[in-house]
Amino acid sequence: MEVLSNNDLYCTAALAGLYHVYDPEIGLNVVDLGLIYRIDFNESDKTIIVTMTLTTQFCPMGESITEGVLQSVSHAFKDYKVSLNLVFDPAWTSDRISEEGQEFLNR
Amino acid sequence: MLLSGTDSELQQTTSYKAVLPFYIFAAFSFLISCILLLLNTGIIQEHYFHPKTLAITHLMALGWGTMIILGASHQLLPVLIEGKLDSYPLAILSFIFAATGIPLLVISFYLFNTGLLMQAGAILINASVICFFLNVIASIEGSKKYNVHALFMAAASLWLFITTFFGLMLVFNFSRSWLPQNSIEYLSLHAHIGLAGWFLLMVLGVSTRLIPMFLISKYSNPGILWWIFGLVNTGLLSFIVLKTLQTSEEYYYGPFLLILAALLLFAGYCYQAYKERIRKHVDEQMKISLLSVGMLFLPLISLLIVIVFITEKSGSNIVLLYGFSIFFGWITAIILGMTFKTLPFIIWNKKYRTNADIKTPAPKDLFSEKLFNIMAILYLTGFFIFIAGITSLNDILLKSGAVSLLMSAIVYVWNVIKVVLHKTGK
Repeated sequence: MEVLSNNDLYCTAALAGLYHVYDPEIGLNVVDLGLIYRIDFNESDKTIIVTMTLTTQFCPMGESITEGVLQSVSHAFKDYKVSLNLVFDPAWTSDRISEEGQEFLNR
Repeated sequence: MLLSGTDSELQQTTSYKAVLPFYIFAAFSFLISCILLLLNTGIIQEHYFHPKTLAITHLMALGWGTMIILGASHQLLPVLIEGKLDSYPLAILSFIFAATGIPLLVISFYLFNTGLLMQAGAILINASVICFFLNVIASIEGSKKYNVHALFMAAASLWLFITTFFGLMLVFNFSRSWLPQNSIEYLSLHAHIGLAGWFLLMVLGVSTRLIPMFLISKYSNPGILWWIFGLVNTGLLSFIVLKTLQTSEEYYYGPFLLILAALLLFAGYCYQAYKERIRKHVDEQMKISLLSVGMLFLPLISLLIVIVFITEKSGSNIVLLYGFSIFFGWITAIILGMTFKTLPFIIWNKKYRTNADIKTPAPKDLFSEKLFNIMAILYLTGFFIFIAGITSLNDILLKSGAVSLLMSAIVYVWNVIKVVLHKTGK
């Protein structure tokens, strides 16, 4: 699933870390699960905004997943302030799962 | 540096403190119920209005089924209504009242002390249910999301209150005889309001949300859920009217068919969710939960037989088969499965929520899959042997079935303790 960004190079670096952040229940990483909508980098004030969702609002695992995303991006970009923009519109649907994710779930 | 921008947007999930006590109480209630069943297999030959039958039934209905549903509801309510739990203190109060009231009620039934002990137990249980009901309504009101799942929860909680309040009236009727008839005459009404209104509505409402969620299914059909909701409530209301008017038994086929239609729609819903699942691998916990959907039809078959037998004024063991297949069958099967789909996540969240890394165990690693499988085999073996014992009135089969059920309860409690006492390796 495509992740939108204003900086493709940085986005690739952020995603490399996010491939290791898992939904504990499903066992699939947040990128292949399609939870990450976009990552915006602001060079002037050194901030990063990750726009993402959860599979369900008030997901019991939500805090753990968002904390994992924050930690992962902060680790990759140590000089930046990272914040999350958690959105439920558009809501997550299983159509957002990547082909790799589908393969994983088909096992 | 970490800057969490989520605090204001990501609503916190319910604290484990509002959930865990219910699970632990429920686990020991199941264990004690199985011990009492083994010690009293002779009750199968007796009328169902027997002190020990009433004690075991209430321990299973309140201590096991209701306590775990109350606990899980505090955790799952936010998922269902898309809003946070309104009050943590009310959840704790609900536990304290229930945890003191249920033992009092069960002991007084066992000893058939219909006085102060039973009355105090019933009052405390009602206090607990009122706390829970207010919490559910306030949470739904706070979320402003009036979806079908929220309605299932609200209606089920209301029916629970009606059940326990009716129970309270029956308890006082033992000593004061202020109702027109003896308490035994109202037992069927009290039981069915609880079974259909509380357990059935709650399980249907929660399952139709959780089963597709755990299977990652594309299937969703709110229209069918509205039909299920309407059919169960209409079935129950019509049963109450028929009972109150004391109509002849053949009229009971009406509510029976309405509930049957609801269950067929529910089974169809679960099947579609299963068919359209994205996650192909179905774990053992989900399998036993899905099996419980099928196990719903066993009480229905026995209920049909009960309606026929009531006409002939006989067949007390079939009435007990009906009750047994509900409490030790359907309700127990779904709880055994769902405990290990919810409890490990509650503990995992408590231990690893903010410090998960690559070495962190997955929630499913917090319990023993092997113990779970042993428990499932012992449970199913015990359940079916006990059923054979009820139908044949054979005490050896009853005892063997009860032993197997007790062993499954021991393994269940063991696995629950393993999860609750999980220590981080850090």
